[in-house]
Amino acid sequence: MDLTGEFRARSDGGERCREATGLESLHLGDELRQLPPDNVGGFTALLELPPTQAVNLLRFTDSPSSSSQAAAVTGIAPPPLHSYGTLTFPSNSLLMERAARFSTEHQQNGNVSGTSSVPSNSSVKTEPAETDSSQAVNNRSGKRKDSDKKAKSSTKKKKKNKSSEENENLPYVHVRARRGQATDSHSLAERARREKINARMKLLQELVPGCDKIQGTALVLDEIINHVQSLQRQVEMLSMRLASVNPRVDFNLDTILASENGSLMDGSFNGTAMQVAWPHQVTETEQSYHHRQLQQPQQWPFDGLNQRAWGKEEDQDHGQ
Amino acid sequence: MQPTSSMKEEFLKKWQMGLQIYRPLIDNTSVSERRKAIKLSADVAMASLRKGTTCWSRALIQKTATEDNFLVRQMLSGIKAETLINKKLPKVMCHRKIVRRSKMILRRRQSRSAIEEVAAKARKLVKKKTQGLRNVVPGGEFMSNDVLLIQETLDYIVSLQTQVNVMRSIVDAAEAGSERTAYYLGKLKFAIEDG
Repeated sequence: MDLTGEFRARSDGGERCREATGLESLHLGDELRQLPPDNVGGFTALLELPPTQAVNLLRFTDSPSSSSQAAAVTGIAPPPLHSYGTLTFPSNSLLMERAARFSTEHQQNGNVSGTSSVPSNSSVKTEPAETDSSQAVNNRSGKRKDSDKKAKSSTKKKKKNKSSEENENLPYVHVRARRGQATDSHSLAERARREKINARMKLLQELVPGCDKIQGTALVLDEIINHVQSLQRQVEMLSMRLASVNPRVDFNLDTILASENGSLMDGSFNGTAMQVAWPHQVTETEQSYHHRQLQQPQQWPFDGLNQRAWGKEEDQDHGQ
Repeated sequence: MQPTSSMKEEFLKKWQMGLQIYRPLIDNTSVSERRKAIKLSADVAMASLRKGTTCWSRALIQKTATEDNFLVRQMLSGIKAETLINKKLPKVMCHRKIVRRSKMILRRRQSRSAIEEVAAKARKLVKKKTQGLRNVVPGGEFMSNDVLLIQETLDYIVSLQTQVNVMRSIVDAAEAGSERTAYYLGKLKFAIEDG
């Protein structure tokens, strides 16, 4: 190749090399957009290019220091073509050509062809960006609705919009937030929490009668509070009523219910407790209610018949 | 989810068990004492349906334990009674005052717009309501986040519904029975007086 013919090692070695590379680095800086300030010279910047490309560049720009540095960085032995005496640094034009090629290659990769830390960082950053983008894809369907709602946003949220859009303008950040969505994990967690709350509020609305048509969280909560309070008051009223009924009923109730629960399926219990009139009726109505509430409704007409029969009997008994 | 018949049966059995504990104490003849006995045993029965899984049930058991420790111990199986009758930390209450004060300080520095003010008022209203809900649901102050609060409210409402249904049926039966006795006794008296 033509290039190999031009290479001649410099006698000075390192320093001149670096001076030359310093000059070239300026040109490189033009071609390659970003140059980090903390790099000593453009040559080290070149070295931070992706190693394959650096090796390509450096193979043709062989100088002792460059070859040694390249070897140190890439671990590849410099080509044995040149002797130390004859190596020279390539001309500016060559390097500029290389730089231009690298910059175009970088652009093809979709990254800004920054020399220094950007290439290495970009490879690192694409990974989180990709995961975030995948998350964003997953969340996007959920967020679409929210973004529509948030179109009518307050000024505070508009500021958040701007910041999220600025994040999107950076070249190596994939689009992961829609307008109106903040990008941090805090808001994502908040959003999940809010969705949980909304789902459970819907369940509550279905449970409490009359809550379906109400809109707005505050009013629904109001209704729920009222419902709970009314249920609690009902419990108190019922316990008062039960207590004010004859105390003996209470205990008879216990025994009756205890024995009855042991024999829930028996219809014969109706026939056994005939002797005493009064607790009898309690038994009897108890059973009817229980059968109605807790058991199959089939026994209910049976009990009803018995009830009427006994009622008539007792009527006759008491009447006479 | 509406109360199921199995829940009602279980509640009834447990309630009876509690009432039977009161039966040997014949000296609770006053109405208020009996009412208290009925209500406490009903509450413990309702809470024990959940067997300590929910926050409200534990708080309710604790509340009734302060009024009648003996009843609670008898009604629950021994292991649970010891663990459930413990002190809880009302930590949420303390934090709220500090938070409120700091928010007031912050609020004075913020600039507001019309839309923001409306949203802020709505949020404040919702927070007031959730605080009201915490006051009503037993153990609400100990529920740190809103999700838990709403879950507990759901469960509590269902349990309250079963309690009310069973109690109402028993009360109706008892009252009907007593009415019937009153009716028949009155008839008997009338008959005696007449005849």
